[in-house]
Amino acid sequence: MVEHNSQKDKYVTFKSGNEFFGLKIEYVNEIIVFQEITEIPESEDYVKGLINLRGKIIPVIDVRLRFKQEPFEYNDRTCIIVINVRDLVVGLIVEKIAEVVEITEENILPSPKMGKADASDNKYVYAIGKVGDDVKLLLDPERLLNDEELSSLDNKLELDEDDEEGDE
Amino acid sequence: MGIEFNTQDMLDAYLFENTQLLEALQEIVLDQKDEEYFDEDSINEIFRTMHTIKGSSAIMMYDDITEVAHKLEDVFYFLRESHPKNVPHVELVEYVLKVSDFITDELDKIQNGEDADGDSTELIEELDQFLNKIKGKKSSGKAEGKEQEKEASPMQFYIPPTAAAITNSHFYRIYLAYYPEIELANVHAYKTVYALKSIAEEIIYEPDDIISNEGSAEKILQEGFKILLKTQKGEEELQKIIKPGYDIKKVEIYECSEAEYKKGFDGIGSEILIDLDSSVEEIEKRAGQDGKKEAPKEVKPGDFVVQSKEPGKAKKLAKDKKQKGEKTAFISVDIHKMDMLMDLIGELVISESVVLQNPDLKVPGLKLDNFNKAAAQMSKISTDLQNVIMSMRMVPLTNTFQKMNRIVFDVSRKLGKDIDFEMVGEGTEVDKNIIEHISDPLMHLVRNSVDHGIESKEERIAAGKPERGKVTLSAKTESGKVWISVTDNGAGLDREKILAKARKQGLLDPARSDASYSDKEVFQFITMPGFSTNEKVTEYSGRGVGMDVVVSNIQEIGGTLEIESTAGVGSTMSLKIPLTLAIVDGIVMEVGNSSFVIETGVVKEFVSVTEDMMIHEPGGSESVMIRGECYPVRRIGDWYGIKECVTDVEDGMMVIVEVDDRKVCLFVDRLVGKQEIVVKPIPSYVKKVKGLSGCTQLGDGSIALILDPGGATE
Repeated sequence: MVEHNSQKDKYVTFKSGNEFFGLKIEYVNEIIVFQEITEIPESEDYVKGLINLRGKIIPVIDVRLRFKQEPFEYNDRTCIIVINVRDLVVGLIVEKIAEVVEITEENILPSPKMGKADASDNKYVYAIGKVGDDVKLLLDPERLLNDEELSSLDNKLELDEDDEEGDE
Repeated sequence: MGIEFNTQDMLDAYLFENTQLLEALQEIVLDQKDEEYFDEDSINEIFRTMHTIKGSSAIMMYDDITEVAHKLEDVFYFLRESHPKNVPHVELVEYVLKVSDFITDELDKIQNGEDADGDSTELIEELDQFLNKIKGKKSSGKAEGKEQEKEASPMQFYIPPTAAAITNSHFYRIYLAYYPEIELANVHAYKTVYALKSIAEEIIYEPDDIISNEGSAEKILQEGFKILLKTQKGEEELQKIIKPGYDIKKVEIYECSEAEYKKGFDGIGSEILIDLDSSVEEIEKRAGQDGKKEAPKEVKPGDFVVQSKEPGKAKKLAKDKKQKGEKTAFISVDIHKMDMLMDLIGELVISESVVLQNPDLKVPGLKLDNFNKAAAQMSKISTDLQNVIMSMRMVPLTNTFQKMNRIVFDVSRKLGKDIDFEMVGEGTEVDKNIIEHISDPLMHLVRNSVDHGIESKEERIAAGKPERGKVTLSAKTESGKVWISVTDNGAGLDREKILAKARKQGLLDPARSDASYSDKEVFQFITMPGFSTNEKVTEYSGRGVGMDVVVSNIQEIGGTLEIESTAGVGSTMSLKIPLTLAIVDGIVMEVGNSSFVIETGVVKEFVSVTEDMMIHEPGGSESVMIRGECYPVRRIGDWYGIKECVTDVEDGMMVIVEVDDRKVCLFVDRLVGKQEIVVKPIPSYVKKVKGLSGCTQLGDGSIALILDPGGATE
């Protein structure tokens, strides 16, 4: 890997709850300040709604709610990280952007697994990066957006349709 | 990588260009399918099209396409040069269409990344036979034809174009006179020779030492410059290459036989076709006349240009030929760029309103006269800009209609029915996305009309109708919708038959009598899956798939199908579709903090109601009685679980919408206004929400959700 890549090993880190998380910078399109969100009825609680990103309408999700943490009040430090995962553009609402750090491969440890109970909480974190004395939980954006809920989402859709018919 | 990319570009250009050419070709062919022959322009155009396709396909190394195009080019070359009579026109039309189909299929395969593996052998053989046939007919009993046939016979498709062309060469003697004051006339002469080289198969000139001998200039000035030329090109093209100009005083082109050609330069310059004193237009005009007038004079044994059209025919052609309008210049643009432009304009409009309604302007005591003037001007420009980009997405239905023309032609030929096809309003413009969606449904409808609608010739005569059936395809715009109708003057739908079939399939309500079904209801049965009253299954219809597909395709784009029919007189199938999917005229409403939009077309009225008009049913559902009519009520706020919405009916607004004869009241908090909105899909990441068909941004940049009238009223 002699490939010259200025983005290599760079991570955008942000704070959510008490932890710092890291996202590979290549997934990140941009970071924008919080803006008004249009709610979409009947969607998951962490899908906060839609924002208008210069004419492009993108969904935004609340990372804290996604991690099943306590909701937080949005303020002027709240940011939206716009990520692009395989052409799926989604905004992530985070409490606070920390910084862009470089974490080299030798400082990345696989995320510790502790049997079943732990698996559900850590499913978004694929590794842990060490930066000095701090640790950053490195997120797998694909799992953050899709994970197992894809299938349950499909199920839910069908249920909803049944419901609608039931309304008649 | 770089090279690959380039070939992809080339391939794209190749596919695009040739698809366009083929479309144009079809148009020409279908335009004249009912004539007795192709007029000269069309023959030239088809010839040129095939030539271009041949050329570009050869470069891209699609051999089968090249060969087929080459063969058809041969046929048209023969038509163009020899004007044979008694060409079976319909057969010729079929061949041209076959070739165009073949190439289109191959191009499709290439486009889809498959190999262009179609086998052209059969088609080429057919074309060969056809070519021989028209040649054979033409030459029968004519001395001059024999040689031609003899010469033409060795021509086979796999001979490369230049070799094949030998048989069709023309021979010319050309005499050029130069102005005496021209210096270095030999160089000028060489210039001409050089220009001719590109089209010449053989070129001989005198004096022949024009390059090496400067003295030849003198000779040219005195005696003129003589050229003997053997070429495939016609005289007109030569005239384009060699024109009198500042150097050349006089040009004489004389077409001669091969025998004369071989004799050399004796007698050249005896006949003058073009003189310098006439204007270019006159020359061209005269050249055309001369060509015809001279034809009989020129016919000599072994001569090539044999028959010009009879004067009578030529006149008729001139009269019949439609005046072709000025051709508009087109460029093709990547659709993504269009979308980008559209997005940008959307942003522009929003930032415009941000500027114009900026809170900073609201400071009391500001003088804003000039600002307001400038702002009004800017708003006007941005509105114009919006209109232009919208119009750029609109495409006339012409191409789609042409395809239908083709289908009528094919199907009616196969079924042995004589059918006139009429198109009305094919210039109607529709959004590009819509066009893609209506092509298939329309094809079904047209096929149905030709196949089931129009009766056989015998039946028509027995019914006292004109022998030729007629299918009309028409389009018009009305109240923001496009109506596309397929009308036939055939037998019409048979109500009894449909009812009988419906009963057999258990579609009828046993409680109702047959008579209680309206025609409209009865005709709707034919749109059910698996419903076909045609006893015999033909290649085209009768399998009972089709109408249901038509309906579902049309519904997908928010359209409807209406059927009208009178037994014995004919039927009309009308598609009613939105003009565009991208822009909708909508009513903006608010519920709680959310904005919703519903398309204006379905909204019947807005009513403020009072509590005593409400009817609460025990199950929790509500209705409202307005002017003696009872409408079911859907509270959008409750339906979507929106917080902080109006609950008291007297504080909100009822919107009566009508969808498919169902009238429903939607209860919203308040109305905001009417607005043209740009429809955007809800990002796929968000799961589908009932009753919503998309989203849009409003003037202030906020997002509104678009209610799908069908879904929201279910």
